[in-house]
Amino acid sequence: MLVAQVLVNALVLGCLYACIAIGFSLVWGVLNVINLIHGSFIVLGAYLAWGLYQSLAIPPWYALLVAAPLFFVFGYLLQRSLLNRVIAAPVLVTLTLTFGLDLILNNAMIYFFKADYRKLSLHPSMGSVSLFDVVVPVDRLIATASALALTGLLYLVLRRLRVGRAIVAVRLDRDAAVLMGVDVKSIYAIAFGFGAALAGCAGVLMALIFPISPLTSSTYLGKAFVVCVLGGLGSVSGALAGGLLLALVEGVGSTLIGPAHATTLSFALLIVFLIARPQGLLGRKGFE
Amino acid sequence: MESLRMSGPKLACSRFVFAAAVFAAIVCGAPAASEAAEDVVRFGAPLPLTGPLAPEGIKQQQGYDLWAEQANKIGGILVGGKRYKVEIDYADYQSNTPRAVQTTEQMISQDNVNFLFGAFGSGAAKAASTVSEKYKVPTIAAAASSSQVYDQGYKYLFGTFTPNDTLTTPLTEIIKAQAPDVKKVAILARNDLFPLAIAQEMEKSAKANGFEVVYFEKYAIGTLDHSATLSQMKSLAPQWIFITGYINDLLLIRKQMVDQEMKAGVVTMIAGPAYQDFIDSAGQSAENITSASWWHPAERYAGKDIFGSTENFVKLFRDKYHSDPDYGQASAALCGALFQLAIERAGSLDREKVRDELAKLDVVTFFGPVKFGPNGQINSLEPPVFQIQGARPVVLFPPAIKQGELKLGVN
Repeated sequence: MLVAQVLVNALVLGCLYACIAIGFSLVWGVLNVINLIHGSFIVLGAYLAWGLYQSLAIPPWYALLVAAPLFFVFGYLLQRSLLNRVIAAPVLVTLTLTFGLDLILNNAMIYFFKADYRKLSLHPSMGSVSLFDVVVPVDRLIATASALALTGLLYLVLRRLRVGRAIVAVRLDRDAAVLMGVDVKSIYAIAFGFGAALAGCAGVLMALIFPISPLTSSTYLGKAFVVCVLGGLGSVSGALAGGLLLALVEGVGSTLIGPAHATTLSFALLIVFLIARPQGLLGRKGFE
Repeated sequence: MESLRMSGPKLACSRFVFAAAVFAAIVCGAPAASEAAEDVVRFGAPLPLTGPLAPEGIKQQQGYDLWAEQANKIGGILVGGKRYKVEIDYADYQSNTPRAVQTTEQMISQDNVNFLFGAFGSGAAKAASTVSEKYKVPTIAAAASSSQVYDQGYKYLFGTFTPNDTLTTPLTEIIKAQAPDVKKVAILARNDLFPLAIAQEMEKSAKANGFEVVYFEKYAIGTLDHSATLSQMKSLAPQWIFITGYINDLLLIRKQMVDQEMKAGVVTMIAGPAYQDFIDSAGQSAENITSASWWHPAERYAGKDIFGSTENFVKLFRDKYHSDPDYGQASAALCGALFQLAIERAGSLDREKVRDELAKLDVVTFFGPVKFGPNGQINSLEPPVFQIQGARPVVLFPPAIKQGELKLGVN
């Protein structure tokens, strides 16, 4: 039964990891920008969910509807006003810029919210469901279902909508996309906006489960990075595969060699992938 | 534009006025400033005022502030017939141990503090003590119990928490005597100096008392998801679950234990359940959790320190903060009161003399009898064991202040 419980835990956690990483993967894949502000966006989303619940009693699943447009606009404006200016520069420049922006946002959150841990506790508590001794908390199930829905939504946007096809076209061949009349700067801004919206929504979902503090942003960023390397850039399914693999490695590693070494194991796997399979499990050019 | 221009004589006049003002400030102000500086004893307090350890850091600050307020109410600390006001310099090291070391050095070399309070927890207190020892600044750690902090051979470091085994031994003996069906123990420790050290003491104590330790693992600092660990622990069906960490870790783990529907005869958590914040945040899930700490407001000591008695300390604390004090706040206030005793006995602010008086202390305080061992760690206290019952901590040990009986079953 322990094996079943560990697998279910990993499945649930894996979907959450995928949700954390999907926006990061989109921005990295399409814009070739390693967006270091992603972790802080997630934390800001968590604060938004917490604030809406504390002040207006709006549950987190409704907070998603507020977070998505708000973060999209924030991300869009950030890309339009700052990142687009250096997008053609070497990757180190954009990395440094997002690093600086992350420092500003993270320290602003420490200033306004303090670095204390806060918890979004639903009243009444949602409890757990159990089947054949395998127990899953309901709040995690809701977060997982929402994470899967968001991932599916992004997949549909990229597959079905004109703007999604334009994003994929820019990723596949920027110059050809320009010749076909695609406004690349707008597409970059929209892709970055999507990335920010997904990070904000991931934060809302994380608030249901984990404590909220600006200090957790580096943990989320680290997870997103590992998921992208494991799953590979360029596909929604890659992020999902990476998230599930990471959660499985952590869960099994924690059970077999102890929780203190689970993170070490996941980063060891990252190194192995970087050497042996740099494109990740499902990585490919384009974002479909 | 005209108003911005100054003619020659006007400029000369204003220069003269400015120079005269500066001269007056130097002549009149300087002695006043140095006089003021002489009348103050400055204590440095590096604390984790933000970050995951902020709840603990803020408690320590409350204890120091209460002591400083009481000391200043009577004019300050008496040094050679003259009263010196108490001033505490706080610095937030954001729950980041390397920053605690930097902050401590800054306080000594730039802020010129006379004495120091130790950083929070065994890990940070040990790391920062290397700096205070180098500069020979007497330091009292309000929240460091692990023997590894005091076995460094340091002369200037003192601590008000007894060694970890003084908590785990009575706890194990109580469970052994009152819960004979409890045989299997699972231990999970935060991979940090104090939480790991007390977990190791618990393992020793459990084995010595015939318990079977079926699980012993560490979790990394900052771990957010404990589900895999808890599932494994649950599969081993321990009757006693012993978890260490600080308040935020323990609240997170307790929530995830409830999520996993984990039940056990005894659940012990150290350190956190003594804090009202833990009880308020954990709500019903805090019921029947056992713990141990270094002090409890139910104790009754008639002390020679500024607070006089435990009752008086509790009253003063309630008046100021409108809540009951816990061991963290009491220990911090004690550190101030001990410095005051040592400085007054030394009759001087000389660091060497104050250090020697601290080492010689053998006094009853509101916290209990205080006497430091040769390594600087207090060795004169009998820490209480308690259990959360009806949303309040109920003392189970020592018998002199016992308030209730052990209840089994944590759901």
